[in-house]
Amino acid sequence: MRSEEPPILELRNFRYTYLEGTPRASEAIRDVSFEIRRGERVGIVGPTQSGKSTVVDSFAHLLRLKPGQVFYDGQDVAAPGYDRRKLRREVGIVFQQPDSQIIEDVVGADVAFGPTAAGLPAEETRRRVEESLNALGLPYTEYRLRYVHALSGGQRRRVAIAGVLAMHTPVLVLDEPMAGLDPRGRRELLELLIRLQKDRDLTLIVCSASLSDASLLCDRFVVLDEGRVVLDGPVREVLREADRLAELDITLPEPVIGAREFKKLFPDLPAEILTEDELEAELLKRLGVA
Amino acid sequence: MLELQRNVIFGQFIDTGSPIHRMDARIKLVITFVFIVASFLINDFLGFAVVLPLLVLIQLVSRVPLGYVLRGSQLFLGFLVFVLFFQVLFYPGDVPESSYLWHWGFLSISTEGLYTAGILGLRVIFLYYVTTMLMLTTSLVDLTNGLELIFGPLQKIRVPINELVLVFVIAIKFVPIFIGEVERLARAQTARGVPFDEGGALVRARRIGRLLVPIFISGFARADLLATAMNTRSYRGGRGRTKLRQLHATGADWLVLLLVVAWMLAAWQLPDRLVA
Repeated sequence: MRSEEPPILELRNFRYTYLEGTPRASEAIRDVSFEIRRGERVGIVGPTQSGKSTVVDSFAHLLRLKPGQVFYDGQDVAAPGYDRRKLRREVGIVFQQPDSQIIEDVVGADVAFGPTAAGLPAEETRRRVEESLNALGLPYTEYRLRYVHALSGGQRRRVAIAGVLAMHTPVLVLDEPMAGLDPRGRRELLELLIRLQKDRDLTLIVCSASLSDASLLCDRFVVLDEGRVVLDGPVREVLREADRLAELDITLPEPVIGAREFKKLFPDLPAEILTEDELEAELLKRLGVA
Repeated sequence: MLELQRNVIFGQFIDTGSPIHRMDARIKLVITFVFIVASFLINDFLGFAVVLPLLVLIQLVSRVPLGYVLRGSQLFLGFLVFVLFFQVLFYPGDVPESSYLWHWGFLSISTEGLYTAGILGLRVIFLYYVTTMLMLTTSLVDLTNGLELIFGPLQKIRVPINELVLVFVIAIKFVPIFIGEVERLARAQTARGVPFDEGGALVRARRIGRLLVPIFISGFARADLLATAMNTRSYRGGRGRTKLRQLHATGADWLVLLLVVAWMLAAWQLPDRLVA
């Protein structure tokens, strides 16, 4: 029955111009339409200036939206009288620069900000803060009283993510979540997100200029370029258009890059290779090694 | 949602390629200086009435949309009205009893107070308008070059002109950057449940106050980064530096300067003569 309910998020012929009507107007989104269903894991991919961040901002109505373009759970978020506070309690966004969304000076207080503002009882808030900080590898007892500004960049990013997780939003949007993390931090965050998505049946949206991180998290890609949707489909289908993606300056996953190179040697190599294991198996087959 | 860049245009440059944009930056700076001096000399409404057509002319020739300038000056004008309100209420001085319109303790509204506040208001608007137009029509590079050339001779007596001009230009350049930063912060915090887009003007203003600390921190970080960037690129002032683009003042530029000076003299002197 799932497909019968309205999509959780929908953009319908979305257009957006910053500073519209002034000499400094800049057109960010020209025409974008897509739907995201509950529980989907979607990667929004595109080069810089493609409009990814504007699309992210539109999900929580952080722009001067016009009616009839952005829908949450079937309702127009720009309609007069729409409850924006409720929308923002349901769509959690982790921004590119974590510092901008940290409000309080102390780690524990900052993570508690969202639940407190939502009116949760103190006990529940404390439980959520503990749970979120622990999940991100910042042990609650050790970190809750630390000053945010004394933390490293990677730790601040994790505090920002914890602050959003503590809200228990059904939709989680991450804008370039892997930027500034070391390989171990990336792996840990990746595992955490996959686990959370399953446990909480999250709708997960990941924005990135690189397909390698997003391909491990998402099952569908929406590729943007210059404010338009260029490709939209399951990960493997989109990756089949590797040439087009490379043209757009989108970083492909390493096995895909490898497979493209090997294709010069073995022209019959299938186009939808995604993981190292698949590539290895196909190569071994062709080299005649059992 | 908050789009502060609409409401604060200070320090922005809008390239419309108009004749004013193409003028020599030095001449534009001198003209601005003439305007500033004139704003202090002109002392009655009639004088400012003489100035007005020139400002309208500048606005038309510059091709910068008037609506944009007005909307971008809202915050400034609001602040000015606020200040002038107190100027009127607390107007000191020996006011004859007949000119009091309202009186309560040390607070009063008198015709003298209103007149002074009116002149003061016009003076500040005039000053604000000409400096804003200077920045809207002059790129930062031209502005820097112009200032360095005008004050260049002072370097002979060891005044560090290049450094001073640089500091001035950086200060102006930081205004739009800060405004962009405030917007970004407000957006991120709205997403977390601080509704910057709700409530009356006062509530919103108080919420922006919350952003002061993060803005200061990022401001210092930015300044630090800029200093490092300049060091790594071997910045050492303007000594021995040549310019790719030379400024040229044409006859027309000088003619404009002459016209402005004459116009301002007229605005200063005419009203007195007329009355006398």
